[in-house]
Order: sequence, then C-alpha cells, then structure tokens
Amino acid sequence: MYKYILQAAGNINWMAVFALLTFFFIFSMSIYLAFVKDKESLQKIANLPLADDEPHYNS
Amino acid sequence: MTQLETFSYDNKIVRDFAIATTIWGIVGMLVGLLAALQLVWPDFNITQYFTFGRIRPLHTNAVIFAFVGNGIFMGVYYSLQRLLKARMYSNVLSKIHFWGWQLIILSAAITLPLGITSSAEYAELEWPIDIGIALIWIVFGINMFGTILKRRENHLYVAIWFYIGTWVTVTLLHVIKNLEIPVHMWNSIPVFAGVQDALVQWWYGHNAVAFFLTTPYLGLMYYFLPKAANRPIYSYKLSIIHFWALIFIYIWAGPHHLLYTSLPDWAQTLGSVFSIMLIAPSWGGMLNGLLTLRGAWDRVRKDPILKFMVVAVTAYGMATLEGPLLSIKSINAISHYTDWTVGHVHVGTLGWNGMLTFGVLYWLWPRLYGTKLFSIKLANTHFWFSTIGTLFYAVPLYWAGWTQSLMWKKFTPDGFLAYGNFLETVTQILPMYMLRSLGGFIYVLGVFLMAYNLWKTAQAGKLIENVETTAPGRMKHIAHKGEHWHRWIERKPILLMVCSAIVVVIGGLVEIFPMLVIDKNVPKIASVQPYTPLELEGRDLYIKEGCIGCHSQMIRPFRSETERYGEYSKSGEFVYDRPHLWGSKRTGPDLHRIGGKYPHSWHYNHMLEPESMSPGSIMPPYPWLLEQDINTDYTAAKIKVLKMLKTPYPKGFEDKAVRILREQATEIADELREQGIEHEDLENKEIVALIAYLQRLGTDIKPKPVVIKTIQK
Repeated sequence: MYKYILQAAGNINWMAVFALLTFFFIFSMSIYLAFVKDKESLQKIANLPLADDEPHYNS
Repeated sequence: MTQLETFSYDNKIVRDFAIATTIWGIVGMLVGLLAALQLVWPDFNITQYFTFGRIRPLHTNAVIFAFVGNGIFMGVYYSLQRLLKARMYSNVLSKIHFWGWQLIILSAAITLPLGITSSAEYAELEWPIDIGIALIWIVFGINMFGTILKRRENHLYVAIWFYIGTWVTVTLLHVIKNLEIPVHMWNSIPVFAGVQDALVQWWYGHNAVAFFLTTPYLGLMYYFLPKAANRPIYSYKLSIIHFWALIFIYIWAGPHHLLYTSLPDWAQTLGSVFSIMLIAPSWGGMLNGLLTLRGAWDRVRKDPILKFMVVAVTAYGMATLEGPLLSIKSINAISHYTDWTVGHVHVGTLGWNGMLTFGVLYWLWPRLYGTKLFSIKLANTHFWFSTIGTLFYAVPLYWAGWTQSLMWKKFTPDGFLAYGNFLETVTQILPMYMLRSLGGFIYVLGVFLMAYNLWKTAQAGKLIENVETTAPGRMKHIAHKGEHWHRWIERKPILLMVCSAIVVVIGGLVEIFPMLVIDKNVPKIASVQPYTPLELEGRDLYIKEGCIGCHSQMIRPFRSETERYGEYSKSGEFVYDRPHLWGSKRTGPDLHRIGGKYPHSWHYNHMLEPESMSPGSIMPPYPWLLEQDINTDYTAAKIKVLKMLKTPYPKGFEDKAVRILREQATEIADELREQGIEHEDLENKEIVALIAYLQRLGTDIKPKPVVIKTIQK
C-alpha cells in the first residue's frame, strides 16, 4: 500500500527524506546539547523561576 | 552594569483568570456530571437543549477551553512577567484577551445547547466563534511576544519555549481545522470531505490534547513546580531535549485515532510509530518533574500543593504511557470505541490538568492577596477528594471498556455473536457508569471545597493589583566565540518561534499533504452518489442532535464487526461526507449500515420512545423531531456550497432542491402511513428528514433495500 501511495505521489519522496533528516537533526542536536557541559550558565537559567524577591507564603 | 529599573507586575489579570478558571471548572465539571448521570438515567435528558448529544460537547469545550484555557492564561500571565522581569506588554490587550475569551466561552455555552455545532470533536463551535477565537488568540500572541521583546532578562526560560510552541501550533491547528465555507450565520461546510476530513480532524483533535492540554501545562510545571519545591528543575538539559523532541513527535501522532478505519495504512502506521516514540520525551519530562523533588519528599507529605503537583505529574506519566500503548494496533482493536478511551482521557484531564491547576491555584492565590491560605486542612481534604474521585472515575471505565470490547467480540462455538443484541453490552456496564458518576461527584465536590478555601483566603487578604519590583535593564548581549548555540536561540524569541513552527509544520505537511493532493488515496466507488436535499437536511439534524457522541459510522474490518453491522466501511463511501461522521465512541451501535435495516416506522417509534423498540435502552427520546418542521430556508445555499466544493450535483440543482426535498419527504411520509403511523402534516416534520438520512446510510454499495418495501406491500 505504502509503495503504491509513493508511486502515485510522484514527487513527494523528498518530503519523507526531509522529515527523516529533520528528525535526525533535532534528536542529534538535543542529545549533543545534553552532553555539552556549560554548568554555570545552565544553572543560572534553571534558577530563573526562583530569582524573584516576592515574599513567600509557604503553606 | 545597567541601572536598576522600577516597574510592576500585573496581578489583577492573573487574579481574573484564576477566578474564571475556578468558576468555569465548576460549571464544566457539573455539566460533565450531568452527562454521566444521563448515561445511567435517561430521565436526566431535560428538554431538547440538554440531551447528552448536545451537552457532551458543552462539557468538553467547557473543561478544555474554559477551565484549562483560563488556567493556562492564569499561569502564563503570572510566570511570564516574572521570568522576563517585565510587566505584560499592554494592560488593554490583557483585558481584551480576558473578556474576549470569556465571551467566546459564553457563546459556546449558548450555541452548543441550541444544537449549533460543526460536530468536529473539540472544534464544534461555528465559524463566527472560530473567527473570534482566532482574533483573541492573536491578541494573546501580541501581548505575549510584546512582553518577550521588552523583557529585562536575556534568556528565555524553558517554560516560555513551551508557551511559544503552544501559541504557534494552536494557531496552525485552529486555522487548518476550521477551513470551512459559511452557509449562513450559524452553519458552515468544511472544505475537506470523508477520509481527508477525518485525518485533518484527528491531526487537530490529537494535537488539541498535545498543544492545549499538554505543552502549556508543561510550561506551567517547569515554572510552578520549582517554585513550590523551592529548588530548580532537576535537569535543565533534559528540559531542552524534552521540548524539541515533544513538539516534533507530537504533531505526527493524530492518525492513531483512526486505526483500522478507512484511512490508508501508511498514515495509520505513521501515527502508531510516532505515538510509541512519544513515550521517551513524555517520560523524560515526567521524570524531570518528579526528580525536582529529590530531597524534598518529606515536604510532600505535608504540603497539599506539592501533593497535587506530584499526583499531576504522575498522572501525566501514566496517561502518556497508556496513550502510546493504545496506539498499538492490536491494543487499539480492543480499546477503540469503548469507555477505555474515556477513562484514559480522564486520567489526563482530571489527574494532570485538574490537579496541576489546583496546585498552581493554591500556590498563587495567597500570593495575589498577600496572605496565607485560609485552610491547609481543607486543601488536603480537596487533594484526597480529587485523588479518590479520579480513581472512582477511571477504574470503572477501564472495567467498562474491557467488558464492552470482550462482549462485542465474543462468538459462540457455533460461530454466532454471543451478544448479538448491542443493548446487552450496554446494560451490562451500567453499574460501572454509576460508579463513574460517583467519582465525578466526589471530584467536583473537591473543587467546591477549593472555591470556598480561595474565597475565604481572599477575604482575609487584599488583592495586590500591582507588585512593585526592580530589575536591571536589559544589557545588549554580544555573542562570543564558543558560546553555546542554544543559548543564542534562547535569546531570540522570534527565531525560537520560527524554529518551533518549522518543526511542527514538517509533521503536518508530510502526513496531511499527500492525503490532500493524491486523489488515489481515496479510491472512488462508482455507485456512491451525493446526498439528496432531504438527506442533507436529515444529516444536519443528526449533527445538531450530537448523535456522533454515541454512534460511530465506521465499521472496522473485524469479523466481530462485519457480523454485527455488515460490510466494513470503505474510504470511497465518504467522499461526499462534509463533515465526516465516523465518531470515536460507541455508547450505542455503529450506524454506517443502518440504512434499510429497519422499516421507516421503526425509526419513527424509536426516536419518539427508544425503549418501545429497544427495551432497556439508555438513548433519550427525541419527540421534538416529530413536532418541528424541516427548515428548508438554507437547503439551496447548502447545495451551492457543496457544488463549489466539487460535489457533482447537476446544473441548476439548487433551484429545484426544495421541490425535490418535498417529493422525497412525501414519499417517506406515505410509506410511514402505510406502516401504520398516523401523524398530521408528517411530510413537513424533521423526523422524515432524519429517517431519509438514516435509511441512506451505507446503502450505496449494497443492493437497494427493496425487501422491506416489498414485504410491506
């Protein structure tokens, strides 16, 4: 069925290849990011939610 | 070093959205409770405006767009200002956004009970409201991006990426799903038909779950969970992977709602594969949330806010594991059309959306009023009500779903269906429906407790409308060699928006584009003809009454289904179905081959009093269909629009459509009289149009139902 669809589709093969490449690119980059060490800066961004001076009304 | 700047955060808009969240939450859940009760006791179907078919979409719209929608805006308006160290871009836009959104909800609450619906799940609202939604969404977008652009903080925290991704994708989904041509003020016809409409519908429907119920709430989780736990997110790196992987994969998963249907196999497989891949980013996000509490678990025992958040994140994990499992074809063969799906959805909504909203409200509300929460004990009680309510809701529905499926598929040793009467499979699960109602009741009771708690808290404090604060002005960042590239993207919100858009568009294009342009994907069947004018009006009544909420029109190629309903459904049979009405739930039987199965009089009596034809039925009666006249004011306009969309009606057909409609109506009314129905002015009544439509269903590829007529004569 899939083969038939692609045959009928004519010039859409590039779309599948493009999707695969993008998919590969996004995951590679995400994983690359996970392994790149830049602790100090990431720590700063991670702490942004806690960086306000509003009073705490802890329950 | 730049100078400190003094500015204020707008708390009032956050408070307004918080109030709307609470009120609409209660309303939406009460409507849900009513719908649950109607499934056990049909007497709860009060008047034509509050039947199950009409209020089921009211419930889903209210809880998704009113409760969760306002919850999103509440959380976004609070966190965005603080993460960016900037007040919202425009007070006026904030107000337009708030009141505009409430107006949209109000119009939904009025139009849906009136039967003004497109029938597309989660996109039921008609075109003027769709335009309203688009405008208000753009207002929200301008306000959000305006705030981002005037920010004092260079970096965009991950929660903001989720907000941006949400805005971009919802815009795309809303526009494409609602491509329709108006017939009149409160009716439109979608540009896509049949299998293509189904694919677009579930591409939208699934991503409404993904990008309205999930990604913005993940943004809220990434902000409010660290706040409540008073520690940063476990792994910021993981959150980067979580974001990109999730938005890329989610957009592909829609076709898992159409497994074993007439959708081409390649699209079904695509949906399954990407759904299973979704486990990875979803669980990455869940673990990131839960591990944030490392070293703080002792506080979870005492703090109701953390309790709500922990259960919410756990429910997210459970629902996002179950979803992919349900996308495996062999499991989907069992689960689809049953209450299992309803149970699954409610683990996500009651557990993930509901509990995270409650946690955020309990955290945020006292801060808005500069005081402490009125009662921790009451909040803890609410937590247990929510948890027990969710369990009482979901577990009976899982049980009901499995029971339904097993009964639908069971054969006797002689090869006959063991439960040939569909009603047997309905009455069997009524106790489960009762328990489900109890679960819903407990859950909504908890929300009332919360409303009281928040009310008392507000009374004890005073709203801090504007929070004065200071922050250094934004320094222009000069990129340096060796800088992490992602931080470069993080500083450029427009680039982030464009990247997110590209990522989600790819999935949409690859999946939908071939379906739309390749004619051969939908093999034509020569005997399939457009609907007659009377059938068209009957179809619109079917849509108006929300029959799709309980009846599918899609017979899957299983022996258990072809034995029960007849020949399995072919994609070519739906080429003139605008919109498609395949449905997603079988509280009643499938209707695709109902045409010609019973005489007209059976349908007449069944609609007047379902129990007279099917003792024990939980379907509500529809006596008004026997009293109200068929509205032919727009029949010609409908034909015109359908012709614009290439439905092959003959030239000038619209001009004679009403005459043809009257002729067919008279024919059916005469047949009804022959079958013993006495009813004055019958040929003008809506019931005749509905019967015409039902008798047409699924007959194009089978011999015409002459047998019944012959027998009657």
